Order: sequence, then structure tokens, then C-alpha cells
Amino acid sequence: MIEHLSSDQLSDCVLGQASRTVAQHVQHCPACSAALMEFRESLGEFQSAVRRWSDVQARQYQAGNYRADASRATPRRAPELSIRSSSHQLAWALLIAVVCVIASFVFPRHGSDLIGSDAALLNQVDAQVSRTTPSSMEPLMKLVVEEP
Amino acid sequence: MQLSVTPELATSELAPSQLESYVGPDVAALTRDFEALVQLYRPKVFRFALASLRDVDAAETVTQDCFLRAYQARDRFRQDCSIHTWLMQIAVNLIRDHIRNRRFQFWRRTRLTAKPVDLAGHTIADRAKSPEAQALLRERVAAIWTAADRLPQKQRTVFLLRFVEDLDLLEIAVATGMKLGTAKTHLHRALRTVREGIGERL
Repeated sequence: MIEHLSSDQLSDCVLGQASRTVAQHVQHCPACSAALMEFRESLGEFQSAVRRWSDVQARQYQAGNYRADASRATPRRAPELSIRSSSHQLAWALLIAVVCVIASFVFPRHGSDLIGSDAALLNQVDAQVSRTTPSSMEPLMKLVVEEP
Repeated sequence: MQLSVTPELATSELAPSQLESYVGPDVAALTRDFEALVQLYRPKVFRFALASLRDVDAAETVTQDCFLRAYQARDRFRQDCSIHTWLMQIAVNLIRDHIRNRRFQFWRRTRLTAKPVDLAGHTIADRAKSPEAQALLRERVAAIWTAADRLPQKQRTVFLLRFVEDLDLLEIAVATGMKLGTAKTHLHRALRTVREGIGERL
């Protein structure tokens, strides 16, 4: 007769694989019987708790998904919103264009002055570019021309 | 990612109860009634994934991947185990891959520092028990939950398959790809750790 169940023997009992000797001991030993019952009960309650928790999580996840789907569906109003925002943009563009036109009438001289100075600058650049000899070579060119 | 089921699969011909009684279903029925199969086994696969990963999003992803792979591999189902065991086999592999990938992801720290799950809060009060006995039982459940989280991955998988999914040793061996003796050893070690966990806590 064994004294008390070892951890492995208790595990065997929990797994339903106890030997005949172990099973007989459990029947006659109140301490081992109580320990086994307590462990089985704990494992059973653990299983139930995990199942309930999983069910709750699944329901919450699905509810969350539905909410997410619903919120994803709301942007169906987006065309209206985008039209509104695009009309805002158009209004701003028109306003800026009107301001520009008015400004061109109010300050015409500044514009013509600018055009004039631009033209002078361009002519200067043209003259520099169209020179046959670079400015740094000009003294040499003079010497070459003067020699004959 | 949402699991998409083709229209011809959506028409179920077998009731879930009939499908569950299948031990070795023929592949044609499996194909025809895939929608019913999803309906029946989805909660079980999700539960196992959730208990293993403790992350609802990850569990949902694993569940969807599991049925997607099952659908893709339905022609290769050898009918040498039940559908439940076959699906658990796929889920075990997906969970293992997920855990392996997560080791390299920085947000794992976030998970580890996240608020722990209060599993004891999901125990049902038994009126036949005294409040002290109920509190003690809740403590034990919490201790098992904590101990299960600390188990090495293989032991945890085996433990959850046995004590959450009610698979027997042979089914566990098939689902995990272990030898029967190896599965039994892992289960014994897991049980010992869990018992020690209960002892430490109480």
C-alpha cells in the first residue's frame, strides 16, 4: 500500500490513467481523495472560466468590428463633404484671382517698370553671351589685332 | 483579413450536430459543408488561440488563417483524425509561428506590461459553496491561469489542448506532431508546474 500519491500519480489520476493500486489508494485515503477532487475541480472551473472569457472576448470583438464597419460606412457622406470643401477651394481661388486683377489695375506702373528692368537685364545678358571673346581674353585679343 | 467562402460553400447541407459526429468525414462533404464547419469549429479554434496568445486580435487572425489553410488543404485531409484535431493541428502550427515572429517584435513588451486578464472574474458563483470556498476556487483558477502563462510553449500547448479543449492524449499527440510519450511527459510536467503554482499562491 502506497503512503500518499506523488505528483505524477496525481497527474495520472487527473488524466484518467491511474494504475489499479493508485486508484485503490485514492478510494481509501481521504487526504489524497480530497487533494485529487480539489485539483479536478480547479481544472474544471479553469476550463469553464476560459470558455466564458473567450465567448465574451469573441462577442466584444465582433461588436467592435461591427462598430468599425459602421464607422467605415459613414464616409459615404464624404461626397457631400468633398463638394463642400471643393466649393470652398474654388471660392478662395476666385477671390485671389479677383484680387490679382484689381492689383494689376491699381499698380500698373510698378508692373511696367519691372518689365522694363527685366528687358534691360536681358539685353545685358544677351550682349555678354553674344561676345565672341570672353572678357578675360580681351586684352590678348587686342594685342593680336594690333600686331599687323 | 476576412475569411471568404465561395458561394457554393455557403449552402450547407449538414446540420452542425451531424457534422460534429463525423470522425472521418469524406472530403466531398468537407468541401460542400465548409461553411457549416466554420460555424461549428470557429469558437473552439478562437478559444484555443486566445488562451494561447492572450491577444484578441492575434487570436482572430490565427482563427481566420486556420480556416483559410484548412480550406486550401481540404483535399489533402487524410481523414486519419477528427476534424477538430485536424483544425487544432493547423492552429497549433499557426500559434507557434505567431509566437516565433512575435519574439522579434518590439510591441511584445507592450503586451507583457499590459493589464493582465482577470480570468477569475469569469468564474460563476456556486450558491452551494460558502463565500470562502468560492473565493478559494477563484484564487485557484487565477493561479492556474498565471502558471499556464509561465509554462514553456510546448507544455502550455499540451495543457490547453487537454484542459481547455478536452482533447485526449492521442489527439494531442496528433495535433502537436509529438509522440504519445512526449505529449504525456509534457502534460505531466505542465500539471506539476500548475499544481506548484496553486500551492505557491494559496
